[in-house]
Amino acid sequence: MKSATSSSLRRLLSLNRPHAKKIALAAFFVLLVNGALLLQPYILKVVIDDFLTQHVAQQGLYSLPAMGILYFAVVVAAGFFSVAQVNLVNQIGQKIMRGLRTRVFRTIQLLPLKYLDRTSTGSLITRATNDVEALSDLYTDVLMSLFADAFLILGIIGAMLLIDVRLALVSLCVTPGMFAVIFLLRTKIKKNFQRVKRLIGRINGFLAENLSGMKLVQSFCAEKEKKAGFTGLNGEYFKSTLFQVRMNSVLRPLSDVFQNLTVALLLWYGMGRIGASTLEIGVLYAFTTYVKQFFSPVSDIADNYTTIQSAFVSADRIFELLDQAPTLEDLDAGLPLDRLRGDIEFRHVWFAYNDEDWVLKHVSFHVLPGETVAFVGETGAGKTTIISLVSAFYAAQKGEILVDGIPIGDIRKRDLRRNISVVLQDVFLFSETIGRNVSLNDEIDSEEIEDALKTSYAKVFVDFLPGGIDEPVMERGSTLSAGQRQLLSFARAIAHDPAVIVLDEATANIDTSTEGLIQKAIENVARDRTTLVIAHRLSTIRKADRIVVMRDGEVVETGDHESLMDRNGYYAEMVQGGESVGENPDDSPESSSGTRGAAAL
Amino acid sequence: MGRRFLLRFLKLHWFGYAVGVAFMFLASWIQTLFPRILGDTVDILKTAGFAPAGVYTQIGYLLGVAAATFGTTYVWRNLVIGGARRLECDLREALFDHFQVLSPSFYSRRKTGDLIAYAINDINAVRMMLGPATSQAINGVAVILFTVVAMARASDWRLTLLALLPLPFIVAFMLVVGRVVKKRFKRVQKTFATISDRVNENISGIRVIKAYAQEDEEVRRFERLNDRMVEANLAMVRVSSLLSPVIEACFTVSFVLNLILGGGRVLAGQITLGDFVAFNGYLVLLLKPVISIGQVINVVQRGMASLSRLDEILDVAPDVVDGGPVAAFPAHAGIAVRDLSFAYPGADREALSGIDLTIPAGRTLGIVGRTGSGKSTLVQLLMKMYNVEDGRILFGGTDLNDFRLDALRRGFGLVPQDNFLFSATVEENIRCFQGGYTPEQVAQAARDACIYDSLMALPDGLGTMLGERGVNLSGGQKQRISIARALIRDPEVLVLDDALSAVDTVTEGEILANLRRVRAGRTTLIIAHRISAVQEADEIVVLDAGRIVERGTHAELLAKGGPYREICDLQ
Repeated sequence: MKSATSSSLRRLLSLNRPHAKKIALAAFFVLLVNGALLLQPYILKVVIDDFLTQHVAQQGLYSLPAMGILYFAVVVAAGFFSVAQVNLVNQIGQKIMRGLRTRVFRTIQLLPLKYLDRTSTGSLITRATNDVEALSDLYTDVLMSLFADAFLILGIIGAMLLIDVRLALVSLCVTPGMFAVIFLLRTKIKKNFQRVKRLIGRINGFLAENLSGMKLVQSFCAEKEKKAGFTGLNGEYFKSTLFQVRMNSVLRPLSDVFQNLTVALLLWYGMGRIGASTLEIGVLYAFTTYVKQFFSPVSDIADNYTTIQSAFVSADRIFELLDQAPTLEDLDAGLPLDRLRGDIEFRHVWFAYNDEDWVLKHVSFHVLPGETVAFVGETGAGKTTIISLVSAFYAAQKGEILVDGIPIGDIRKRDLRRNISVVLQDVFLFSETIGRNVSLNDEIDSEEIEDALKTSYAKVFVDFLPGGIDEPVMERGSTLSAGQRQLLSFARAIAHDPAVIVLDEATANIDTSTEGLIQKAIENVARDRTTLVIAHRLSTIRKADRIVVMRDGEVVETGDHESLMDRNGYYAEMVQGGESVGENPDDSPESSSGTRGAAAL
Repeated sequence: MGRRFLLRFLKLHWFGYAVGVAFMFLASWIQTLFPRILGDTVDILKTAGFAPAGVYTQIGYLLGVAAATFGTTYVWRNLVIGGARRLECDLREALFDHFQVLSPSFYSRRKTGDLIAYAINDINAVRMMLGPATSQAINGVAVILFTVVAMARASDWRLTLLALLPLPFIVAFMLVVGRVVKKRFKRVQKTFATISDRVNENISGIRVIKAYAQEDEEVRRFERLNDRMVEANLAMVRVSSLLSPVIEACFTVSFVLNLILGGGRVLAGQITLGDFVAFNGYLVLLLKPVISIGQVINVVQRGMASLSRLDEILDVAPDVVDGGPVAAFPAHAGIAVRDLSFAYPGADREALSGIDLTIPAGRTLGIVGRTGSGKSTLVQLLMKMYNVEDGRILFGGTDLNDFRLDALRRGFGLVPQDNFLFSATVEENIRCFQGGYTPEQVAQAARDACIYDSLMALPDGLGTMLGERGVNLSGGQKQRISIARALIRDPEVLVLDDALSAVDTVTEGEILANLRRVRAGRTTLIIAHRISAVQEADEIVVLDAGRIVERGTHAELLAKGGPYREICDLQ
């Protein structure tokens, strides 16, 4: 962790390199602003000592009004430089963040499914959003203000030493103590604040769950128990906010206390020297101002300390993701193929998601262009895995997969995938219009979209939507039924006119009227193209040219429905055993689409 | 009601607040002493051959001010700011109580996310108004008053007024620029939310994107959003970076006025050097409350708006309330439904029309029908999730509306359609957080629901956490846990609302066999899509568009060759 952070720091700093000149300029502005800040008490000292105490004769620029104007000019100049600096730093920071954000997004897009399967959706989203934002804060707020604060502290100490060494040392007596106390309190407050935030997050989660499950709570009369849970959480939150209040109640008046202490100390020490005329009153007064200026940078640094820590955690996470670069998919490598014929052959394919945990063993089959082949078998037989291999989402460990006679790994992935459309059970719809969900980002005109909707029978319900194909899909399609979503995903596949279609037939939660449409749609989809279908319905299976029966990762039987029934083997047993052939979708651990989709309880 | 809640809260805690506000005034006054003490000390030090004793007294004052500032601030902050925190938590609990009595018809109109916002954001806004903003306002007014009076005494009214001249400009500038910054900040937040949504959707749909090779176009689309984010951020900074330099410059005008005019007065002998120094100190004190004016106004506006929003929610009366005094659900009671019609609030079509049903005690009724035919609605009405206006529902002869709500609902064990489980342990889910069940009862319920073995295979068995921070179960497993949750209550009426849809046919058979055993002599309602789940029921009704279109046993209905037969043939 420690070493990871230091390398992250190096990499973070390296992002600055292209902007070195601008950063140097910004740093220069910071110096100017701070210089101005230090000059202000000195001007006051001159006014008090030279004019008001010693009554030195005023002439020209060396006069009270001139000093006033100088003071004003210094403040205005400092303001000007500070505006310039803040804008400059933000421009640099935003540019860097834009680059980083795009890199993270691109990486996520091109990560192989193998990696995505192992990573939770939430953590990936955090990388591209909150983590980058944490770094952005680090850049635009923290780093420059840290630099400015450090410089200001040094500047104040330097200025005090320059004016009067002994008086400076006296003022600085209190500062280590002040430093320690403020730092301690600030970090404690920040840490507790994170706890408060965590608790409010849990309250949020508790509410979300209970509000959406309110019907259940009410039908089980569990209101009292749920209230007890909420009160517990809320009480814990209350306690940590009270701690927050108490800590802040100590911290807030502390700056006044330390200032007063230092001033008291200065007066006690200074009175002797003023009496002996070795110290001017103006100097003493300037020092009280310097002491005041001391407080805010110290407080800032302590405040930023935890921000920096969390930014480094974010940086570690971002770089860890970016380090996946060598494993990213290269969509453009390989043999370009404009149009596949749709000839798919598995030759003795062995595949495991991890190590030697074989999901497919010695699988061989050959699908000719235009054929429809059904895959049947129980949960975990390896059917879904075949889909993933055909689209080259994973590579087989042993054996060969040939598409149009070419090893699948040699074909340009972009071309391969554009030629093979996969329709999963768990249909994903984007928060776009119906039309755009069919066409995706590709140039498919509305006429073609309408055609695809007609062929897939999705038109039956799309026409009833107020906006037709321009109707937006709400909340990822939760307003549509499972069957309607499936029809839309057929339309999506048809609109892209693939040479090969691979589909995982939906089983559950489809009402009988839509079910009939789906049957007809599958026939339309399968027409004129190679079709691989993970089938659950006898009607679909009967229409297949061939059936590949799988068991425990192996192909145990192949043939058409009649010949397999005649054989009276495993297939016949399955058909007679239950009305639906194959596994139930929800119980299937291998439908990895499910592991991503079913994240919510 | 939100306002009434506030008044009640203040009444209950008025003493703490009164003491707090008193200490606040004290703290403000003490704060304004410092410049004077410093000024007086300067005057003493200025005179040649001053007596050290005088200075010691001043140093003593300084230390006293330090201690008193600390003490008073500590007290008022704890009382006032801490009090606001207590208010926040109390209000949140009151809201939660209110949420729990509101009826499903309320929840069907509101988004969960919005309701959470009430409980967190709005309550927080009210807290900010009554805590920090109120104290800042009181404190600020007190400091300004004390300071202005002290300034006039240190110098004179004319110089004081002159020095106050730039302050209105500062306030006006802050308000105007503050509004622009707020608007631009909102844009930044909106863009950030859009980016989050896009990333979220993209990752959830990554399989589709990959399958259709959409990666490059997606990255391009993301870059466009990204550009907007950069632009929004820079636009905000362009304005917000002006804020503090301009304020400082305006304020410096006051300071310079004192430097020149006040300095002149010192030279003319009208005021002492100490007065001059004190005047400077007072100016510094003024800056903080003036700067906070804009902020206070903002917080108060937001707080008032949130209070109104909370009022709106808290004033919603629950639709469904206790009907009558009957406090126990009758044992072994039959269910009678008489000419029941129902339309959801706001719907123009009836979800149920003219339903007549008699379920003798101890019998099993099967209900089939397509999605939207009214099956679940019937269950909801039996449990009085909605009010029954047309028709009657009787349990053992007692009208549904004569029951206390909890008595009625305790009569039921429901397995809902959506397999809703809490992010809690398996065991807590089965008990539904209620006490009084032995571990053996929990295990038995799990066994009867045919889920025991797969639960024991989980890392912590029945103690395994489910949900976001725990294990994700398959739909079939969740369904079976919700069956166990209903069974453990050993309810008078068990209702399975399409509760076997995600289990395979073999397990379905086992569960149904277990039900026949444990539910012998008890009333059971089974709603299903699949015929296999209801075919053994004593009676089956077929619903279509809210009406019962067929009824009879499996064999009778098959023989009839009506809608039931049609569904069978499709499966």
